[in-house]
Amino acid sequence: MQMIVNTVRMVDYDQSKEYSFGDDISLKENMAIGILNPEDYEKLKLTPSLNLKLVNKHGQVIIKIKKEKNVPLDTILMPISIWANQIIGISNGQIIFKNIEVNAEATTDNVLDIKDLLSIIKK
Amino acid sequence: MVGKRVKCTGCSLLCDDIIIKSDGLYVDEIYGACLKGKERFDQVVSKNRILSPYVRKNGDLVKIQLKEALNKCIEIIKKSSKPILYGFSTVSCQAQLKGIELAKKIDGFIDSNSTICLGKVLNTSKQTGMALTTISEVINKTDLLIFWGANVAESIPRLLNKALFSRGKFRMTGREIKTVIIIDPVKTASFGVMGVRDISLKIEPGKDLELIHFLKEQCCAPNTIPPKEIAGIDSDDLRRVLIQLTNTENGVIFIGQGIVNSTLNSNVIQELLELVQIINIKQQKGRMSVIMLGGHYNMAGFDQVALSMVGKNHSLQFDNNQLVETSDTIISKINNEDFDCSIIVGTDAVSHLPWKLSNKLTSKPLILIDNKKSATFSVADIVLPSAITGIECGGLAYRLDHVPIELDKIVNPPGNIISDEEILSQLIEGLKTT
Repeated sequence: MQMIVNTVRMVDYDQSKEYSFGDDISLKENMAIGILNPEDYEKLKLTPSLNLKLVNKHGQVIIKIKKEKNVPLDTILMPISIWANQIIGISNGQIIFKNIEVNAEATTDNVLDIKDLLSIIKK
Repeated sequence: MVGKRVKCTGCSLLCDDIIIKSDGLYVDEIYGACLKGKERFDQVVSKNRILSPYVRKNGDLVKIQLKEALNKCIEIIKKSSKPILYGFSTVSCQAQLKGIELAKKIDGFIDSNSTICLGKVLNTSKQTGMALTTISEVINKTDLLIFWGANVAESIPRLLNKALFSRGKFRMTGREIKTVIIIDPVKTASFGVMGVRDISLKIEPGKDLELIHFLKEQCCAPNTIPPKEIAGIDSDDLRRVLIQLTNTENGVIFIGQGIVNSTLNSNVIQELLELVQIINIKQQKGRMSVIMLGGHYNMAGFDQVALSMVGKNHSLQFDNNQLVETSDTIISKINNEDFDCSIIVGTDAVSHLPWKLSNKLTSKPLILIDNKKSATFSVADIVLPSAITGIECGGLAYRLDHVPIELDKIVNPPGNIISDEEILSQLIEGLKTT
């Protein structure tokens, strides 16, 4: 399903807070997430045990899902983090932080840990 | 223990009404800070605090002495012919000044987070001009507050207390006569402050330009009958917005990340600034101005320091110790791999940049100057710990409305940790003597 991702900053899902006062587990739980409309949750045939895989020309990422009725349809909100940055790219010399086109599908694959992501980046 | 009034560096609002109680070693009690501010003060003792210099040996970061770490940095810098320096939004203006001085000395390229953030607005204003205002003026005079692509309740939490719920000299009735317009595709936490007179515009994603075009054509003409719908906003709401723009005595548009990054079409900012100009020409009663909502507490500072030092607000390339013209930004420098080492100061670049850029950034030696562990810390080659500005050392910072605020030292930094300014000074001195 084609959707758009908007990266956002939220008090409850704050990367800096997680680094300061959380650990690798809370960092992943609170940052490797996407927030979407319950209608889209149904359309994607998601269940609590499934994750969401986002793929676009810049990369791919697997995230956990939270439902929020105030999110517009066909839109996923992702807190700014190393997970969101897996699908962020550059166009016309600018980094695209909003309205990022992705293909979204339910998956049984696991969300990567921060250490896994860092080892990919450091490669 | 007597309370002391201090400034907070939790965000770019730099609140100056925080009361703390401290014995000089720890901040024991904090009054009046928001969640972000409280976190900032708590970082002094947080578990991710960097308390020692590190160097990477056999893939692992190992602790070393500061002198040794500085010498290793100087070695890397001396071998480098194309160093880049990046960050500088969470350090004092004095440290930013030293950063530019270092870049000049080593013929480097220096850029701040502003380049990928609200620096775009400042750049555009070079062509269009920009009517800025200050928080004090907003408190005392503003009767219309427009938050465009800005979820201030979560990004700059106390801005609404000061701008909306305050009672100023000419606005003694305060909130009751202030109108809020929020333009956002998402019903964010900021919508929670909306009252009966306020207008929430849930715009369709990426359609800001359509709304701006409509307002440019129709603003300050209250008898206009708007079309059925523009950018997902219905006719009644459009009409109410036009009435507000016509009748405001003092309006302000708070520009957030939502509109700055809403589309790749860079005209959005230009068109928005032109809209403000048009309103100010047509408006019979008052004026409209803008405030840029940067996140980091001294992002505006780098623009100010760079402009005052070299006449350009970002992306400074030095050659033969002179500023040279360049169309490069930190994005193109990293993307084209046009660098051979990086000095990252006070930012988590690896978490903020697209992973492909982070991948390129970490393929060359990376020196990190910061006070807290992050993804960038985990991949750095050398780490120099710094004192937390505004808590463990003083300095100057520019508030989001570009008003300079002097920050205080409240407690002593742990161990022998020195400030960002001092670290950069020692690197400059070390390069002179070796």
